[in-house]
Amino acid sequence: MSSQKQKLLIIGGVAAGTKAAAKAWRENPYLEITVVTKDQHISYAGCGLPYYIGGVIREERELLVKKPEDFHVDMGIKVLNLHEALKILPDEKVVIVKDLVSGKNINMPYDKLLLATGAYPFVPPLEGRELGNIFTLRTVTDASALKNKLTGSNLRKAVIIGGGMIGLEIAENLTLLGIKATVIELALHVLPPFDRDVALHLEKHLREKGVEVLTGISVTGFTDNGLGEVGAVITSAGAIKADFAVLSVGVRPNVELARQCGINLGTTGAIAVNKKMETNIKDIYAAGDCAENINLITGKPVWYPMGSNANKTGRVAAINLVGDDAGEVLEGVLGTSVVKIFDLKLAKTGLSARDAIASGYEIETVLVPSPDRAHYYPGSRQIITKLIVERKNHRVLGAQVFGEGTVDKPIDILATAITLGASVEQVAKLDLAYAPPFSTAISSTSLAANVMINKMQGKFKGVNPIDLKERMDAGAVLVDIRVEEEYFVRAIPGSINIPLGELLSRVDELDRTKGIIFNCKVGLRSYNALLKLKRLGFANVSILEGGIAAYPFETE
Amino acid sequence: MAEKFINCRGLQCPGPIVRLFKEAKSCDGGDIMSIEATDLGFKKDIAAWCKKTKNELLSLEEEDGVIKAKIKKVDQA
Repeated sequence: MSSQKQKLLIIGGVAAGTKAAAKAWRENPYLEITVVTKDQHISYAGCGLPYYIGGVIREERELLVKKPEDFHVDMGIKVLNLHEALKILPDEKVVIVKDLVSGKNINMPYDKLLLATGAYPFVPPLEGRELGNIFTLRTVTDASALKNKLTGSNLRKAVIIGGGMIGLEIAENLTLLGIKATVIELALHVLPPFDRDVALHLEKHLREKGVEVLTGISVTGFTDNGLGEVGAVITSAGAIKADFAVLSVGVRPNVELARQCGINLGTTGAIAVNKKMETNIKDIYAAGDCAENINLITGKPVWYPMGSNANKTGRVAAINLVGDDAGEVLEGVLGTSVVKIFDLKLAKTGLSARDAIASGYEIETVLVPSPDRAHYYPGSRQIITKLIVERKNHRVLGAQVFGEGTVDKPIDILATAITLGASVEQVAKLDLAYAPPFSTAISSTSLAANVMINKMQGKFKGVNPIDLKERMDAGAVLVDIRVEEEYFVRAIPGSINIPLGELLSRVDELDRTKGIIFNCKVGLRSYNALLKLKRLGFANVSILEGGIAAYPFETE
Repeated sequence: MAEKFINCRGLQCPGPIVRLFKEAKSCDGGDIMSIEATDLGFKKDIAAWCKKTKNELLSLEEEDGVIKAKIKKVDQA
């Protein structure tokens, strides 16, 4: 944009829209920047809404990052809230905007246009959807509506439909308010983007905290309690009584405005953009939840509607909107995410094992528990690292880290490594900071990489806990080599106990013709046991990966 | 009725639980065992141990990253 009077118009005022407005102004303060949004609030912390319900965040205003007038005072950016963009006329370079207060339409001309229209909560066409006390949670207004309803009410039983991050955060916050929460998830486990061997740990944790979790179940509708309000949620597994329901089955991109003016949508249904965040129509860009992303590993279009991506893509779009030849690009994203539900934290980056296999990669995985800091340092907690590595070139494709300890540091290390194309050998050799209050001498991340290298070199065969039952049904014997006292406290059903120290003297108790799977607390003693038996010529010996720590099913 | 302090700080698996078994054997019914551990896995272990051995878990708390438990040995006779 050469002229000082150039007009930048931004549709949408939450994360990407306001980020782009501020960045564009900083790049060129002479621009005339206008943000229009049909919402009352702008620049709000959408991710904080569940905590507002639970009272962790006490007042609505704490969620609001900036008010419309702040933008005008700080940067001369005009924000028109309660203004809805109705139509884009790309040939005339005009957007028709409706003032929702006066009801009048305004023609707003632009030189450059950014679509940051975000996403909306998906509401499936369920029978009884119009009944009272059925909520969604996307905007501050939604959150206040639910919070006001709960204040001083006798609504004691909630059904949350959707076991994604937001649905589970809502379940946690309602539980903290003393409300009995039931989560219904259509997929076979909660947190569908994660692998099942990881997500099942969260289901266990939720149940320990009093949340009922039902998976692999579809919702078909709602019944009336006789007062025009929801009385029960009807599912494929029967009716579940509910005083209120929260629909949290995901979001869909707001693309109608773009579609109507001829902007191409991608395979994911979101707006197709290039690496500069340009759409197919000249001078129109898109960023944030309404736009597609590229997965950095597969190079394929994906849609990750997340605040982190919205801010990144908003910034990239702004730089290109201001400077025609800026050439600022976003190569792609990994879908890195992190969530805390009660005391359990789970983080993910790159491809899950399931996605990697579906994308045609030949992979190896490991599950490796470790303390997050020196085991003797107070506050040390266990975390479990799952690594997904491509077999042919040892490239790390993805990782999931979970536990009660620090998970965001290891996942960020791994996101960095994956972004830079690291092999598992390179991850194992990273020079990471260590002192007892922070980490372990070999960090949990390097430890997981070392275990993976051992596995890929054929030093041991591992059994994923998900596959254990099938292996035992096929005749494999699960030998727990922990000491008797540990075995007494908690054991996997169907296992036998031979403490590691007695293994060689009791080796005759083991049938060489059958598969033997060793189990211990985290996998290390199992590895030692395997090496002992291998030296005695046992051929069919493997270890239960991650030991009882990574075992996600019921123990006895 | 004696009170016994058992320091399991710094012990890793299976340290704390083995130590607990050993100490419990030398206690009489009604004795109180007060245990501290830094192995966070011990929190679940000790609750499970009490349940299985039918000893009474008087308190279980975490303070500054240290698990502190008080157990009353129940006379099994």
